[in-house]
Order: sequence, then C-alpha cells, then structure tokens
Amino acid sequence: MLFGALPDPTGEASGNRKIWGNPPSTVWWCDRAMEKFTNALASRFASPTRSTRLTVVLGRWLGVTFTVCFLTGLLSHGLQNPPGWMFFPTQPVWIYQLSQGLHVTAGIASIPLLLAKLWSVYPELLKWPPIKSFPHALERGTIALFIASSLIQLTTGLINTYKWYPWPFPFRETHYWLAWVIWGSLLLHIAVKLPAILEHWRRRPQSVGAAAHKAGQDEASPAPGRWSRRSFLTAVGTTTGAVVLTTAGQSFSWLDPLNLFAPRNMGTGPQAVPVNRTAAEAKVTDLARAADWILTVTYGGTSRPFTLADLQGLPQHEHELPIACVEGWSQTATWRGVRIRDLVGAVGGPPSAELRVTSLEPEGAYRTMLMPAVYVQDEQTLVALELNGQTLDLDHGYPARIIAPGRPGVLQTKWLSSMEVL
Amino acid sequence: MKDMVKSEGGTLAPTRTVWAVRFVLGAVGLGLMGYGAMGFPTQLGPSQLLGLLVWMAAAILIHDGLIVPLSTLAGFGLRRSGSRLRPASAAVMRGSLMAGAVVTLIVGVLLKAQTVARSTSALEGDYAINLMWFWAVLLTVAASLIYTIERRYRRGSSRGTSR
Repeated sequence: MLFGALPDPTGEASGNRKIWGNPPSTVWWCDRAMEKFTNALASRFASPTRSTRLTVVLGRWLGVTFTVCFLTGLLSHGLQNPPGWMFFPTQPVWIYQLSQGLHVTAGIASIPLLLAKLWSVYPELLKWPPIKSFPHALERGTIALFIASSLIQLTTGLINTYKWYPWPFPFRETHYWLAWVIWGSLLLHIAVKLPAILEHWRRRPQSVGAAAHKAGQDEASPAPGRWSRRSFLTAVGTTTGAVVLTTAGQSFSWLDPLNLFAPRNMGTGPQAVPVNRTAAEAKVTDLARAADWILTVTYGGTSRPFTLADLQGLPQHEHELPIACVEGWSQTATWRGVRIRDLVGAVGGPPSAELRVTSLEPEGAYRTMLMPAVYVQDEQTLVALELNGQTLDLDHGYPARIIAPGRPGVLQTKWLSSMEVL
Repeated sequence: MKDMVKSEGGTLAPTRTVWAVRFVLGAVGLGLMGYGAMGFPTQLGPSQLLGLLVWMAAAILIHDGLIVPLSTLAGFGLRRSGSRLRPASAAVMRGSLMAGAVVTLIVGVLLKAQTVARSTSALEGDYAINLMWFWAVLLTVAASLIYTIERRYRRGSSRGTSR
C-alpha cells in the first residue's frame, strides 16, 4: 500500500479499518512486515544526537552557504552571459576574485554541512509507509529532488575545479539550471517545514535533545561513548573549517600557507601565475610565435594592423590586477601594456563602444569575447604585453592578451588576433 | 513565540502570517524549480538529460546506501571504544575522525582526478603526502586534547577522593 494510512484489522490503532473491513489481505501483511522491518532498521540508525533542533541549526548554516553560492554564481553567470540589464562592477578590481572565491569556498564548505544535515534526518528515509498521501508524496518528491540536486551540484562543482569531467552532460549549463532547481526546492522545503523551523529556531529546553531526554539522558551529559548535540555541531563546524582552511588558499592569499588540498597554488606556473589553458592545449603555439603576428583593430571601414613593435611603441601603462578563474583560483599580478581605450581611439572608435575580441585559438567557447563599454572605458583595462616585469609567457597569452578589472578569467582573452569596435 | 500559537493539544500551531509566508515561499519555490526544470531541455540533449538523472539517482544511492550506513557502523565502533572516555574526550575523538574522514573523502576524489584529469596546468600538489601530514597533525592534536581532558578529570576525581 503506497497511499493512505495503514489499515488495522484489530481495530485498536487506526480509524482506517472501517474503510478496509476484514479479513486482512496479503497486502496488509506485507505492509505490516515492511513497517516492522523499517522500524527495526530505523532503531539501528537511531541516535539521541539527532533532533529537530540539530537539523534546524545545520539547515541554517547550509542555508547561508547555499545562498552565497547561488548569489555569487548568478553574478558569475551574468558576467559571462549578460542580460540586457546587467551591471558590470569594475571596482574594487578584486570584486570577481572575491565573489568567485566565495562561491567555490562556500561550495566546499557546504559538503560537510550537507552530509551532516542529511545524517540528522536519515531515519526519516526509513519510515513506512514511504508515502501517506498526495501532499506527502509531493513533499518527499521535492525533498528527494533537493537532495539529489544538491549532492550532484556539490560533487560536480568540486570535481570541475579539478578540470576533470567524468559525467555525460555539460557542466556549466547543468550547474546553472540545477542552481535554480535547488533554490526552488529549498524554498519549498522551508515552506513545508516552517512550523518546525520556527519552533526550533531558538534553543528551547523542551525541544532540545528530545530524543536524548526520552532516553533518560540530558544534553550536557550524553550516554557513554555518545556525543551531545553541541559536540556534534562543534565537530561539524571544525570539519567545515578544516576543508575551508586547507582549500581556500587558492582564492585568498592570506590562507595560502594552509593550502594543502586545492587544485591550484598561488605563485606557481610561469611568471609565478597559474595557467588554466596552455598554448599547446589551445593549439596556438605556432601562430603566437609567428614573426608576422599582428593585432588588427577595426572600426567601421577603418582597419589598422598593429605589430608587436607598434604596440610596444604606444604609451605603456602598468596596473596590479588579479586574474580570477571561474574555478575559484586567483592571483594578483603586475600587468603592463596598452590601454584598450587608446587602441579604440586610434581607429576613431567612440569611447562608449563595445568590443568583439578574437583569439588566435582555432576553436573553443571563449575564442571570441564581447567586452562591454564599461571595461573598454576603464583606464585599467589593458592589452597586456608584460607580466610581472617580463614579456608575457606563451602560456599567459604571448604576444598580447586582455586584462580587465573584475572580469572572469575566461573572458581575459589570450593570444589576441583582432579587436572589432562595435 | 509570536509566529506560533499553542493548540489544545499543547503543540505549537502556525498563525495566519506563518501560513501566508509558507504559501508565498512554496509558490516562489515551485516557480524557481519550474524555471530550472524548463531550462534543462534548452541546453541539454535527451541523452545528456538521461545521464544527469542517472547521476542524481546514483548520488542518492551512494549517499543513502553507502556513506550513511558506513558512518553509522563507524559510530557503533566509536561508541564502544569511547565509552571508557569522558564525554568531552569521546567528542574530540569523534570530531577529529569526522574531520579526517570528510577531508579524506575530498582528497580521495582529488587524487583520482590527478591521475585522469586532462589539464597539465593544475593539480600539481603532492596531495597524498599533504593528507598524511594532515592526519598526523589531526591525530596529534586530538590525542593531546584527550590526554589533557582525561588527566584533568583524574586529577579532579583524585582530589575529590582525598577530601
């Protein structure tokens, strides 16, 4: 029986017997057996540490990290696929470094929090019957969707930072749409559980550790070998701190000394800056090294080629800007080169122009990049020729690359070929 | 509590405001879920959607069928071994093992990625060695804390006895 309460042929427990009448059917006996089995299983997983209060506290922590992930993810998505109303913050220059660093770090922090939250409600999974009514089916269905989506989102999000893609679906698109599903199902879950959340939002003696009290234990002195709710929460907090402290150094330089398990380390790579896509991977080695390389800048009918010597002959500007990758790592470096707006002016382009920038890369999602006017106008946006006092390394985009404040690394086009003023 | 009123049975029942908030949250939630669900077919093909569903089902199976039962088994073992310790010491033991297990889980994936990932410009760390160092520090700190707690308790109890 999947729907409705269990029938009771003895007439002692429920009012449903009248509906079912007698004698008890095989289905009824199967139900009873399943109920006994799941009850026995649930008792195996029972722990006085579990309580509604514990779940609410963990849910609050997870709510914070999920919200940070969602909002920073939307910002990153908006910068890469801007809707008409999109705003493009260029100040402070580390804004994307911060937002994407928070995105990945909050995602990693969510892993122990989600595991703990799911552990706290695990016996709910073993309840029989699994579905009691249509609203109950809806509730459980959305919870299952929320859990599955969250597990996949965090797992694939983490593995994506390792540049490993073992799944049969595109990461970026799936990550984006799953975020909406997760947030929707989270709100729905909160709506369903709101009375319990409100009841246990603050610590109340009558609700805290109800299971522990039932077992004759009190919160301050758990059974031998067990741990209290507070100890469990401290352990979850410590675990979350451990995973954050040992990985966030890829995004935040002050945590770099503790960076044991992030896929990137600051200060590594050519010219002490990490590389996401090498020249060999982009298949541009020969084109970028060619002696006759030129950067073509066009506006309307005007087209002007710039050799590397031409670019080096223009006024050079130096800025300290971070390069921040969508995968969370970032590195601040000193960039030197020609202001983009000077090049736009050189072909008679208006200051409010947008740019279409094309790389030497023969293929790839980021071969061409659209640069909104706010970046074109910014005095710190450069066609960089030097990095940390040296000519750009081939893997950093030699002979010329884009560097702009507050933009995702994938939009800092390397190995420039042409720029079209729109 | 303002948002809840006591019913006849003594349990807290939601007020009208809470019902209204629940309704709005539920409606917005359903809307966002629908928006997300409708977005998938615009960018994922049928086989990719099927692959996503298989991965989601596998995630639940691995979590519910493997990770939680294994952690419960570990909990049984810890309950037995921790029953001779003070509650604070038992909590330190469980907490340090929890931190170690979660970090090991994450680093396990990292180590696997190191062997198969296509990028040559990432994953350059010696993560297995780092993990050993992490466990060494974790166990040293945990053992020191447990030793201190147990020693303090024994001193306290022996003082109590001598009086």
